[in-house]
Amino acid sequence: MIRSYLFLCALLLTGCFKEPFYHSQSYVFGTLVDISIYGESEARAKVLSNHILQDFQRLHDRLHAWKPSSQGKPSELGALNNAFERGAAPLPIAPDLALILNDAKNLSVKSNGLFNPAIGHLIGAWGFQHDEFNAPRIDSASINQWVLAKPSMNDIIIEHHAAYSTNPAVKLDLGGYAKGYALDVALNYLRREHVKNALINIGGNIIAMGQHGNQAWRVGIQHPRAPTAIATLDLPDGWAVGTSGDYQRYFMLNGQRYCHIIDPRSGYPSQHTQSVTVLVAPQAPHQTQAGVLSDVASKPIFIESVENRSQAAKALGISHFMVIDEKSHIFVSKDMASKLHWLAGDAKFTILP
Amino acid sequence: MQNLQSSLSRLVRLKAIIQALLLGDICVVLGGLVLVIYLFKNLWINEPATKVQISVGDKVFATYSLNQQREIIIKGPLGEATIIISQGRARFAKSPCHTQYCVHQGWLSHAGQSAICLPNQISLALLGKTKPYDTLNY
Repeated sequence: MIRSYLFLCALLLTGCFKEPFYHSQSYVFGTLVDISIYGESEARAKVLSNHILQDFQRLHDRLHAWKPSSQGKPSELGALNNAFERGAAPLPIAPDLALILNDAKNLSVKSNGLFNPAIGHLIGAWGFQHDEFNAPRIDSASINQWVLAKPSMNDIIIEHHAAYSTNPAVKLDLGGYAKGYALDVALNYLRREHVKNALINIGGNIIAMGQHGNQAWRVGIQHPRAPTAIATLDLPDGWAVGTSGDYQRYFMLNGQRYCHIIDPRSGYPSQHTQSVTVLVAPQAPHQTQAGVLSDVASKPIFIESVENRSQAAKALGISHFMVIDEKSHIFVSKDMASKLHWLAGDAKFTILP
Repeated sequence: MQNLQSSLSRLVRLKAIIQALLLGDICVVLGGLVLVIYLFKNLWINEPATKVQISVGDKVFATYSLNQQREIIIKGPLGEATIIISQGRARFAKSPCHTQYCVHQGWLSHAGQSAICLPNQISLALLGKTKPYDTLNY
């Protein structure tokens, strides 16, 4: 009798201590969006999560580089690109788009043009501006043409809430910026809503708020050649992590891998790197935020030559990063080494000076 | 006294055995050690998964035990994909997507592993007793 009474109590107690944890998964931005919220009722977490997803969808529609937002009508970014191509008069743009373009311009300059969202035509020439792409032939004439035209963020002039381009070869593709920006938007929204603990993952780019119960949010880092994580790290409040990999979007041609990360100097995909992961601390207000930086900063490090990688990281203020090169050799910055927990006990890596 | 004597004689016998070991015997012992270390690393550090969770779009479609032989056909926005469960593992066997990244992921067997088909919005996640991480950076 007493025993069954105790059993009943235990059952009731487990009901009380159900973890206040909510998780949702959806497809937005042409990728998988994963939202975890801890410490809120399920009903509230669901409302918050849906709000974030709607914000993401709106951003996606506005900033899409090649898809019209509605039947025949180009996206906000598409309309701007059309104006650039025509050499049209300054086109009025939304205040947040002006901030995005100025920030992207600033980051492009800092990275010596290795992060260059103005090379949309080049990305298109490689066939990566499609949801579904077949192995294309390599159109070297078209590629060379777009490299010689030198489209640069500095060709874009933004004044009086309007923008124009001095170079008709400029075509904006914010594929290396928008997901990071969306992370910052989501984090700001959750902070305004006084949410304490959340983890947001947009296609592998992640930002953390608070923690998961009494434990830090833990993130696995994908192995570039195996369907498993290579290491984990704990993501403190406000920190973000991003990876650029040659395994995310690529095609194979004659045994060669051509990935979506294109060196603007040569016009060809970078082939000496498998992946670059950067970890970013919270940034001061009114400058590039952690989400954007985690999205952008991995690209120049990916593209830069082996000997100049640390330099490329430093130019963008990145001290935590990991590089896996074409031979699967792992290089880790000193700061990053202290954050990583390797999942295979015998991981061999070189610490970068 | 008797105790000490017997343990002494045992030691002498052990010494004789070690001296009688041939190169082949040593190889067998070393091979065994390597095997134990290999198994420890693969089975202990990375926990084998017990279940596979299949999601379509934003909904969990089903969770299956990996301890069975089974072929599952699931409809995504692009068409039907085939997922196979066999000998504690799971994989995409067929997918209507162009890139076939999901099929190239191959067999998944450890907790925390996943395969995602973005075009057809189907994902596999392997679950174990513990969760090695909250989310995956890729």
